[in-house]
Amino acid sequence: MVGSKKGLTFRYVIAFALLIVMVFPYLYMVMNSFADWTQVDKKVVPTEFTIRSYEWLFSGGEAGIARPWLKAFLNSVIVSTASTALMMVTGAMVAFALAKMNFRGRDFINNAVLFQMFFPAIILLIPTFLIIQNAGLYDTYTAMILPKAMSLWAVFMYTNFFRAIPDTFIEAAKLDGASNFQILYKIVMPMSKSITTVVFLFLFMERWTELLWDMIVVRSDSMLTLNVLLSQMFGPYGGYPGPMYAASVLLTVPIIILFLFFSKQFKEGMQFTLK
Amino acid sequence: MMKRNGTGWLFASPYLLYAVIFFAIPLIWSMYLSFTDWNLISPVYYFKGFDNFIEAVKHPGVQAAFFVTFKFMAAFVPMVIVSSLAVALVIHGLPRFKGLFLIGFFLPYLASGVVSSLIVKGLLSHNSAFNVFLRKFGIEIDWLSTPLSALLVVAAIIAWKFTGYYALILTAGFESINKDVYEAAAIDGVTPSQRFWKITLPLLYPAIFTVLILSIGVSFGIFTEVYQLTGGGPNYATNTWQMEIFKQAFTNLSAGYASAVAIIASVVTFASILVIRKLLEMWGKRNGWV
Repeated sequence: MVGSKKGLTFRYVIAFALLIVMVFPYLYMVMNSFADWTQVDKKVVPTEFTIRSYEWLFSGGEAGIARPWLKAFLNSVIVSTASTALMMVTGAMVAFALAKMNFRGRDFINNAVLFQMFFPAIILLIPTFLIIQNAGLYDTYTAMILPKAMSLWAVFMYTNFFRAIPDTFIEAAKLDGASNFQILYKIVMPMSKSITTVVFLFLFMERWTELLWDMIVVRSDSMLTLNVLLSQMFGPYGGYPGPMYAASVLLTVPIIILFLFFSKQFKEGMQFTLK
Repeated sequence: MMKRNGTGWLFASPYLLYAVIFFAIPLIWSMYLSFTDWNLISPVYYFKGFDNFIEAVKHPGVQAAFFVTFKFMAAFVPMVIVSSLAVALVIHGLPRFKGLFLIGFFLPYLASGVVSSLIVKGLLSHNSAFNVFLRKFGIEIDWLSTPLSALLVVAAIIAWKFTGYYALILTAGFESINKDVYEAAAIDGVTPSQRFWKITLPLLYPAIFTVLILSIGVSFGIFTEVYQLTGGGPNYATNTWQMEIFKQAFTNLSAGYASAVAIIASVVTFASILVIRKLLEMWGKRNGWV
């Protein structure tokens, strides 16, 4: 739509207004995490600020038992990083086979991936839990990582992207005696930086905010992820909204930083995925 | 040729392992469990035949889950379509601040469901500024304990989360529309509202279709927000499939029964998405949009 200059200004005003509405809950969260406890959730914009909520969070509050916040944060980092790394490696490998290798059974695997992708996953929840439990993995990092070591969505995204890479690059590398692993690692992956960023951000974000699975397979306080710990706080610690907002900030800031850090590549990658 | 077959399978092997361990085995196991009365702990359990399924269909929680999903869809899908369309309509083609808008509108998508539930709970708490303000006008709503508003609140949170993401898809749709069409329309003296309904919307339909399918898919998988805010209540008003299965399996420890519920949920989900998809395609074709 070719707008006039006045129309453009008007659209900017609306765009910024919408942006503020969309981002407001985040601002509310940050303000309340620093707000004086008498004002938490009582005022839209608090007027008195303190860092008491953060102190409470790390000292363990009235009970004096430090909640394992830092451990939970670390657990989240460990689990999310390991899961995401595995999902990307397996995703790229399988996608490479599907997009660029000719072998008997390829179409079958391709169809199986698509079928499974649209299959309602809820049916698998209970037996997957039982597999983990019977393998003696209950309450371990492996329990949180292994079932989430592969993402069909990542396979799908990478397959689409790899198909667009001309075969000549791969043929040329083959003539030079490169193995398939070398081709994937040295030629295909460097050409896929933008899509890799998008896949990485989406996978990491989803893994970082996972609740149901992490909640089911882990019990000890020292094994909880930050998201599950915050969720538990909803119950018995519900009387302390200030610290809960502080914990929310801890949970949200890393992912935003990551996102801002990769924003340029993300923008490029998104353009491809939306085509 | 043999060798190439081998490496192909080698590269695909992560998927094969994953498909066997985390798809095929759980699927069969789930079906087996659904015919038993296993309670997740006891070593002894009995076959019940189709009793679990019959019990499930009669259970108010399961019946609620069936209807709640569609009620939720009826609230969430229009909400998210309107909001993402509004965002896309306003920001597409703007020459400056592109990066800022992209990141800004995408931020809600990054929030964990636990965090957004917490914020909303705070905003709607009894003494929140919002409720105090409403009380001045004599309006008193217990947002999360009233069936309709609880459902709408959850729908709104998830719409907030997905608006930026879907707006991106729609923006790409807008940008793929050939500008000549508008110029030709301008010469023919088309009004702005005609332009939107007769030109933009039909040309945007492929993108809208994508968003519709994605958002309908989302409607079947709600758990975190409901678990945090209402626990499926009040009186099953927000009891989604995931919530019901979680409660039966891990709170009531009825793993056999919960497996039957999960199978029913999967069949309903699969069939619904298939039917809705078909209807949307027919609707688009009838209007000449696809």
